[in-house]
Amino acid sequence: MTEPRIEPELMRISWGPQHPMSGQTRILLDTDGEKVHKIIADLGFTHRGIEKILENRSLIGGIVPIDRMAMVDTANISIGYVTAAEKALGLEAPPRAQWIRSLVCEMSRINSHLYAFGLQAEATGYFPAVFLWTTVDREILLDLFEELTGARWSFNHFLPGGVHKDIPDGFNAKILEAVKYLRDRFKDYWNAMIENPMFEMRCNDVAILEPKDALRLGATGPVLRGSGIPIDMRKEEPYAAYADLDWEIITEDACDVMARTKVRFHEIGQSLNMMEQIAKEIPEGEIKVRFTPFARAPEGEHISRVENGRGELSIHIWTNGTPNPYRVKILPPSLRNMYVFERLAELTNITVADIPVVINSIDPWYLDADR
Amino acid sequence: MSYINTAFEIGSKVQQNLGLLSYIIEFIQANSKPILQVLVLPGLAFTLVFAIIAVWFERKFLARAMLRVGPYYCGGRSGVLQVFADFLKLFLKEIIIPENVNWLLFALSPIMVSLVPGLALILIPFDTNWVLWDVGSLGLPMFMAIMGIAPLMPVFAGWVSNNKYSFIGSWRVAYMYIAGEIPLVISAAAVAIMAGSFNLVTIVEAQKNMWFAVPQFIGFIIFFIGVLIESERTPFDIPVAEVELVFGWRTEFSGILFGFTMMAEYVMFQAWTLLFISLYLGGYNGPIILGNVLLSHIFWLLAKFCVLVVFIILLRCVFSRPRMDQMLKIGWSYLTPAALLNLFVVLALKIWGVI
Repeated sequence: MTEPRIEPELMRISWGPQHPMSGQTRILLDTDGEKVHKIIADLGFTHRGIEKILENRSLIGGIVPIDRMAMVDTANISIGYVTAAEKALGLEAPPRAQWIRSLVCEMSRINSHLYAFGLQAEATGYFPAVFLWTTVDREILLDLFEELTGARWSFNHFLPGGVHKDIPDGFNAKILEAVKYLRDRFKDYWNAMIENPMFEMRCNDVAILEPKDALRLGATGPVLRGSGIPIDMRKEEPYAAYADLDWEIITEDACDVMARTKVRFHEIGQSLNMMEQIAKEIPEGEIKVRFTPFARAPEGEHISRVENGRGELSIHIWTNGTPNPYRVKILPPSLRNMYVFERLAELTNITVADIPVVINSIDPWYLDADR
Repeated sequence: MSYINTAFEIGSKVQQNLGLLSYIIEFIQANSKPILQVLVLPGLAFTLVFAIIAVWFERKFLARAMLRVGPYYCGGRSGVLQVFADFLKLFLKEIIIPENVNWLLFALSPIMVSLVPGLALILIPFDTNWVLWDVGSLGLPMFMAIMGIAPLMPVFAGWVSNNKYSFIGSWRVAYMYIAGEIPLVISAAAVAIMAGSFNLVTIVEAQKNMWFAVPQFIGFIIFFIGVLIESERTPFDIPVAEVELVFGWRTEFSGILFGFTMMAEYVMFQAWTLLFISLYLGGYNGPIILGNVLLSHIFWLLAKFCVLVVFIILLRCVFSRPRMDQMLKIGWSYLTPAALLNLFVVLALKIWGVI
């Protein structure tokens, strides 16, 4: 990136990639003392060319590399690709498979939100206790993933036309147990973070994103819903079993960092409710339909839009009658939210101390944004 | 001056061909108490041992809060040797000096950072007769004067580092200390008025029946927050805010120079906490154990100190860090007016003869 010119009276700080809180990116801050006048996000440090890799693989083979986009939220990425591939191949998964997909996706969403939550605590200068607590609690989910799919992180569980494995015996009881435990823990998190006066001081009225700005800049996910706009791909274009589950879109009207944190918090609670419902009401039946691994998809364009932990992921697949897709275009949620983050310095007053708090309320996953 | 006189006397004996060894032995015999004070109690051993134990305890204790084990392998299951291993590592590491800095100032500033607050320790009374440097009625002002220089050292250290993060960190130090030290000094003045003296020994003796924490509860709270601000403890570790400024004014220091900056944190903490106990928590006062007045006084001061250290370390896993503007607001809008009010009330009560 060619660095834009800096105004003479400002100081430019290079925030990352060698910084305790920056992640795999560089953010340039034009500062005057503590005040930040301009934010420039320099993405692309972890570009791996996933779109190009997908062109060189069959539609089924693409399931493996696309998981690597966001390791903390693999199921929700994978479902986007699988939904688009299903449309291209003309397959439809049986109901039980759809419910299993929803289960894995919701567990993955909790995993992702817990990570964001822990980082948010650390960014406000909270001693990393809460981050470690969430890490330990994510372990429960990872154990469930391992039992269900065979892998803890990158479980290539979804296939076009179904899922790889059925739910093992006695798994539903374990889900209910985990849900009960996590609900108790979230009371602790609520008390330790949301109710903590120092945390409130850091998060209330910081980085306010008005609803009109959120829509204009293309914010998505908890950032958009934290600005009070009820848009969720699970309701807009229901995929998996979301049309059959009982749930509502969660919004907060405060539009600040605290609102986004609360949206994540309530979404975790809702995901737990969904997990409980799935464990109790999952229909019996087949888990996949027959398909040929190197099936040739007829010529056409197929788009899927799914809700990740970080927002809307849209995957656009062009097929041309060969086993491989002709072109795959991925629009990840983190990239969209990073544009919002860049503009926040113009919209509101942001200080240097606010930067880690704001960036974790946006919750970007740079590997996701760089593809 | 008596020490100097004895030194002259001994010097004259040396001239009478008594030899160097007997000269040293006689010097130690003549000055055993000040030597013990310099080397052991308010001096070198106390500072070092406290820093080592506090670092170890902090790591082990906070690990419990974070569902971890903490240091585990070095020195049995307790990991008590880990601190020594880390010190050795810091000592053997290369000292990297950045380009375009004044290397002399760069190397000196972290040493000064830990030395200056260490000087203030010599004024703390551990007993009526166990004060390393008894300056009489100058005790409290002298302490404040020495600790007033201390914050300048991090400012210099950040300035000579020639780093943008260090620069922001050093100016955060300057802003924060001014906001924190003024209410702290004002509330200490209220204590001095109540005790009728600036002499630290007199202030402690005045608390024989009742600790000043009870009548001066507002000052007690203000001074405690001030201690947290001055010693850069969480939640007021704004100048070294790791997630914001890498490591603030300490960013560029490596090896043993970094070790000195860490040491400074604990020395500062130690000096302010001991003053806090002397002013508000009755200092060395306490029931006499086994009939030995001196040792029981020292024991009570150290016991209070340990309890307070555990409490302050506990705060680290409870609070977030405020922003710089919020911190200044706390200092100037709440602490300073409250401290002034406290001072005026104490003055009025003193003039009317109530206390």
